[in-house]
Amino acid sequence: MNWWTSLSKQDTTHERLLGVLLLTLLTLAITFVLPPVADSQLAGGAAIAIVILGLSWLTGWSGQISLGNSGFMAVGAYAAGIWAHHHSTTPLIFTFVLAVVVGGFSGLIVAIPSTRLRGPYLAGMTLAFSAAVTPLAQNFTSVTGGEGGIFMNSLVTPKWFTHFFSGQNAAISANAQWTADLAIVTAGVAFFFMANLFHSRSGRAMRLVRDNDVAAELMGVNLARTRSMAFVVSAAFAGLGGALYSLLEASVRPETFPLTLSITLLTLMVLGGIGTLSGAVIGGIIYSFSANLVAHVNSLTGVNPTSNLGANMQGIIFGVLLILTMLFAPRGLVSLTNPIRRLLRARPHRATANEVD
Amino acid sequence: MTTFLSSSFMHNIFGGLAQGVIYSLVALSLVIIWQSTHVLNFAQGAMAMFATYIGMTEIDRGVGYWWCVIISVVVGMALGGATERVLIRPLYGKPEINPIVVMVGFLGVLEALAAAIWTSTTRNITEPFSQIYFQSNGHLVFLSSFVIFQILLAIGIMLFMAGLFRFTKLGLQLRASALAPEVSRLLGVRVSRMLTIGWILSAGVGAIAAVIIASGSFGLFPTNMDGIFVAGFIAAAVGGLESPIGAVAGGLTIGLAEQFILAYWSPNVAPLGGIIILVIALMIRPQGLFTKNSSRRV
Repeated sequence: MNWWTSLSKQDTTHERLLGVLLLTLLTLAITFVLPPVADSQLAGGAAIAIVILGLSWLTGWSGQISLGNSGFMAVGAYAAGIWAHHHSTTPLIFTFVLAVVVGGFSGLIVAIPSTRLRGPYLAGMTLAFSAAVTPLAQNFTSVTGGEGGIFMNSLVTPKWFTHFFSGQNAAISANAQWTADLAIVTAGVAFFFMANLFHSRSGRAMRLVRDNDVAAELMGVNLARTRSMAFVVSAAFAGLGGALYSLLEASVRPETFPLTLSITLLTLMVLGGIGTLSGAVIGGIIYSFSANLVAHVNSLTGVNPTSNLGANMQGIIFGVLLILTMLFAPRGLVSLTNPIRRLLRARPHRATANEVD
Repeated sequence: MTTFLSSSFMHNIFGGLAQGVIYSLVALSLVIIWQSTHVLNFAQGAMAMFATYIGMTEIDRGVGYWWCVIISVVVGMALGGATERVLIRPLYGKPEINPIVVMVGFLGVLEALAAAIWTSTTRNITEPFSQIYFQSNGHLVFLSSFVIFQILLAIGIMLFMAGLFRFTKLGLQLRASALAPEVSRLLGVRVSRMLTIGWILSAGVGAIAAVIIASGSFGLFPTNMDGIFVAGFIAAAVGGLESPIGAVAGGLTIGLAEQFILAYWSPNVAPLGGIIILVIALMIRPQGLFTKNSSRRV
């Protein structure tokens, strides 16, 4: 039990690395078992989990709310798409770094006026941003390809990887699993970075700003800079997630990033649990299999999936879930595991004075 | 005079005003809710859209246009009151993020429901007034009877709300419970009822804006109020969310600005017009241009 307690407490960078590594390896192992379709769904979920994590950091740790993260996603996706379209031979890692940098920069631009705003003003401002991104992408046709978007080369599965597979659909299974594994590893790196950020000096400063900004200011925390930093990180995560998402789809189009995507992101974050790593994982998993979930609900209620109601079932379910979670379990699905965690932590291991928090 | 009235400059003025009064109405409705309950209602546009669908589809059954308008507004008001009672009331005293999230969820539900019930194809409603532009001496003047109806109705609603808040006993009670709920309660004002009435009035104003939008060339579809809500929010925020006059002025400014950016700069930048104004306004006065006293949470 001792290894688990130390893991779940995640005291040091070393232990956090171990925790994320274990989770990543476990997920990678799962992709070997799942059918190709589920693998591709999981890949999309991993990309969305990165975005949710960025949003969760912003909302849970800095107390700012954003309805603009679908816009940041679009910025990252377009940065990656435009670059990959013209320089198709660039290594993937470079495309990702580019998406992170450009996404973060767009966050900075939104943050500069937004850090002077609170709650509702901020939410409205970011909503206005994400509402403007789609028309901008549609209008600047020469750069963004307009309505049709940009096509990228699909991800190439390396030769050594395909050797694991045999049989009729070997190539298809190999492709699906390679993209899923790639997405999961990327998500793992992002989660490791965020786990460290949560426990860093900035993370603590962020929580203080959220809980009592006057006290934070007295402690010497620069409010505007801290709040902007939260935005930049959140947008960088959204940019990375957006780039990954569009690489999986091998195209960037304006309609991939509608306003409703921001609502979906918010729902998944709240459902999982605001401000936690595991909440973002849960959100990503729910996103991966939301289509199955909706199909299940449709068949349970006897709704024809091709009818109007069936086609809009996902929007209805997500909206209702968001409302119900916020009203009755505002800490999300993660809070359901709290009793188990308490049980695991109850065992005294290294009782030191600094454990009182 | 004829050349002046039919100039492209006046075209933009008329177009901007027509759009601006709609933004003003939405902004005004947001301000009413904000004043009464300190919630920014993200579902304001969607609630109005939903009410308009319920009311205006009655036209298909042969109900007259004006009856449909009345049904829309009444349904909108009922929806507003019910929303406050069911969704917002449990959240008083909770972090300000909670009502935002709930209303965003409600927005998603309403838009998905509307698409499920009435499909997402645009529905055009026979307008009560002609959309054809007037002519004077063979020149087009960019005003139609519909545009005049739109502007006059909006101004009428604004004056009505101003009169209600300023000169009636109900208005006094509404203002009192927004300003000092504890004192008002001691003086016998049913504060919780006032909050509901604030939502009802606000939703009614929103429904009228949606009815006008649906009757015009824009048409009615489940997401038709999204962009208008955003512009209305920007208008209200520029004015400071507290000031009805600020909301109206903000709405007109944004309507005109959008039109002029579209005509003289580039249609590509037009979606950014509102944001640019908001950023500039907030840089000058973060608490809003029309807020009288600045307060700070400590």
